[in-house]
Amino acid sequence: MPRSVLNNTVIPLLRQLTKKLGPQQAKNELRWMADHVRKAIPTKHTAEHATSARLWRDQPAPSAEETEVASKRFSSVQWAWLRQAVHDRVETNKPLQYILGTQPFGNASLLTRAPVLIPRWETEEWVLKLSDMIRAENTGLLNILDACTGSGCVALGLACALPRESVHITGVDVSHDACDLAIENLLRNKKAKQAVEFQRLDLNEQGVASELNSRGMWDMVVANPPYVTPNEYAELDPDVKDWEDVRALVPGDPMDVDQSGLSFVVRLAQLARELGLADGESTNLPRLVVEIGGAHQVDGARQAMHDNGFNLTEVWKDMAGIDRVVLGYHKT
Amino acid sequence: MNALQALRTRPMRALVRDVRLSGLLNTGMTQRYATTAQSKPALPPGSELAGKSNLTAKIHEKLKIMQYKHNKIMEQMTGDISGMEREDMARLAKEQSSMGMIVVPYEHLLKLYSELIELEQMMSADDPDLRRLAREERQEVLENVVTAENDIINALLPKDSAESAGAILEIRAGTGGDEASIFCGDLLHMYEKYAQLRKWKLETMSMDSEGDKIKEIVLKVSGRGVFGVLMFESGVHRVQRVPATETQGRVHTSTATVAVLPHAANVNIVIKESDLRIDVFRASGKGGQHVNTTDSAVRITHIPTGISVENQQERSQIQNRERAMQVLRARMYERERSRLDLERRASRNKLIGSGDRSEKCRTYNYAQNRVTDHRINFSMFNIEGMMNGTALQIVIDQLRIQHDLDELASMDNFDDISPPNQ
Repeated sequence: MPRSVLNNTVIPLLRQLTKKLGPQQAKNELRWMADHVRKAIPTKHTAEHATSARLWRDQPAPSAEETEVASKRFSSVQWAWLRQAVHDRVETNKPLQYILGTQPFGNASLLTRAPVLIPRWETEEWVLKLSDMIRAENTGLLNILDACTGSGCVALGLACALPRESVHITGVDVSHDACDLAIENLLRNKKAKQAVEFQRLDLNEQGVASELNSRGMWDMVVANPPYVTPNEYAELDPDVKDWEDVRALVPGDPMDVDQSGLSFVVRLAQLARELGLADGESTNLPRLVVEIGGAHQVDGARQAMHDNGFNLTEVWKDMAGIDRVVLGYHKT
Repeated sequence: MNALQALRTRPMRALVRDVRLSGLLNTGMTQRYATTAQSKPALPPGSELAGKSNLTAKIHEKLKIMQYKHNKIMEQMTGDISGMEREDMARLAKEQSSMGMIVVPYEHLLKLYSELIELEQMMSADDPDLRRLAREERQEVLENVVTAENDIINALLPKDSAESAGAILEIRAGTGGDEASIFCGDLLHMYEKYAQLRKWKLETMSMDSEGDKIKEIVLKVSGRGVFGVLMFESGVHRVQRVPATETQGRVHTSTATVAVLPHAANVNIVIKESDLRIDVFRASGKGGQHVNTTDSAVRITHIPTGISVENQQERSQIQNRERAMQVLRARMYERERSRLDLERRASRNKLIGSGDRSEKCRTYNYAQNRVTDHRINFSMFNIEGMMNGTALQIVIDQLRIQHDLDELASMDNFDDISPPNQ
């Protein structure tokens, strides 16, 4: 357990972070950065170096206690990393997840890299809730399409929370950066290896539905699509606006007239119908699960689903009380 | 039957009840186990030669009764068993084995006492060699007497199942500002080192600190018998020394509060989801894609009891929620457990292991190099050994001895001693 992270040099770092984050969160973030730097930049050689330096000068070797205390201090390389990290965080508003490079998500641990969208806790919440639902139903193998997969969080979150052979998930994204990162995350989370695959695909292209249909039957479409409206985008924090891919946030052409932010949700409802999800027997599981931006988008999303044959829709709130997910069922 | 129910139904008069039920009554062996006619219960002959013993006369009486019952059961089991049901046999066997754990060392003890009498006679013999032999053997017998008494005491004491499990250790800074926080850090260091010595695993559940100054820290300690050892640490620890922050060399007094809860990992505490209120950081705006927040703090409140636990240790809300739930379960278990404990021991002045957090338990005086535990009035002159964890065992041993004696003394107040629960 780190005994003394702080000597005089850390106080200015803490002060810088506090300006941006407030005292409590500054402490938390500094602690996470410190934990990360210890693992990412190990200093195993320092103890031997100290010992040999002492002996060379005819001084007694450092005692066990001394080495222990010294091992808890940071090396100059680690200090440099910390100073750079805090500078980036405060001056350029670089998100902590990009600085640390990882983010836990459900049972999985994901890599994060600009400009791919960082997984949000709201997404984590509904992914786990959905996986509980799927596990309870205990049907045969489900073939799931994860649209706008980004870092692959939804696909990997589901796969790591469900037993083997219960789902096969295909994650698609229009961005090459996203697909590369998703594949790295797949390698990192070996539990999901058999159940998940990723592919670059533009869902707005012609003929996408028939291409997907040729691969077999689909049971569900899940997505965290872009849902920020162009007006909202202008008001976003620089943490988000300067660093994360605008295509992951705002649907369609940014110069578009559509101010509702729902154009991609509408497209997904259409796609789900084209994949045959609005037909067939009714099941207890939803066919279409889409994350939205809040109460202002609930009606539009539900309408889009009803228009495409999903005659029963449901809304989930997240733990902050905001309408977060719209689910479409097909009931006969 | 979950563990809380099991705590409530701990049988204090189970032995008598069971004996009646086991059918000894039906076989015409009704006995009233009366104490001797003397006004004062007698010790077995020879026990006075063993010096001061922890077993009082009353306890000896009860042990004799238990021995009698045990012999009766043995007779039954070795006699005509053809007429008995399988269940009766099993029940008798169980009683026999559980009583045997007390009676066998007791019979051994009685034999040792009679050996002492013989040796006493030998000591007044004429032959000097014989006298020397007697003295040596007497020494050995006395040691065996102590061992046998300890075995009996261990078997008699009620086993709190929580004692064999892990524990949750909470250290909080009390009065004294920064110095109290630094002292918290020192206590933490002491417990870390001690845990290393005992080969226990430590895990930080939540920590509110700035470097060495720790305002509050909650640790999970895993290992066997952890709670039984650490439970004596609950209370207010007071330190008297010149703080590091002091400019004029004055001695300050500050405190830290330590609370130790049994880790309720294997216990089925039923917590209804509907009784919980979970609070998370709410983004002032829309949340979701609109915001990137790293604030994963979770606060869980159990509405009926008002217990509330907060955790912001990890970067994932799910992990923080799980940790907060663990601590919540431990707190609820501890609450229930100490309530039952209090009921059970209401008649006595309970010293140790009560978890009464406002009691002063220990003072660390650096100027005099002294550590004093107020509950047993025990002082030790080795602050450094204490603060690096090596001397802590000494104090804990003393506390454990006093605790066991208290438990034993409380048994005098009950008319019956039951054999240990399996």
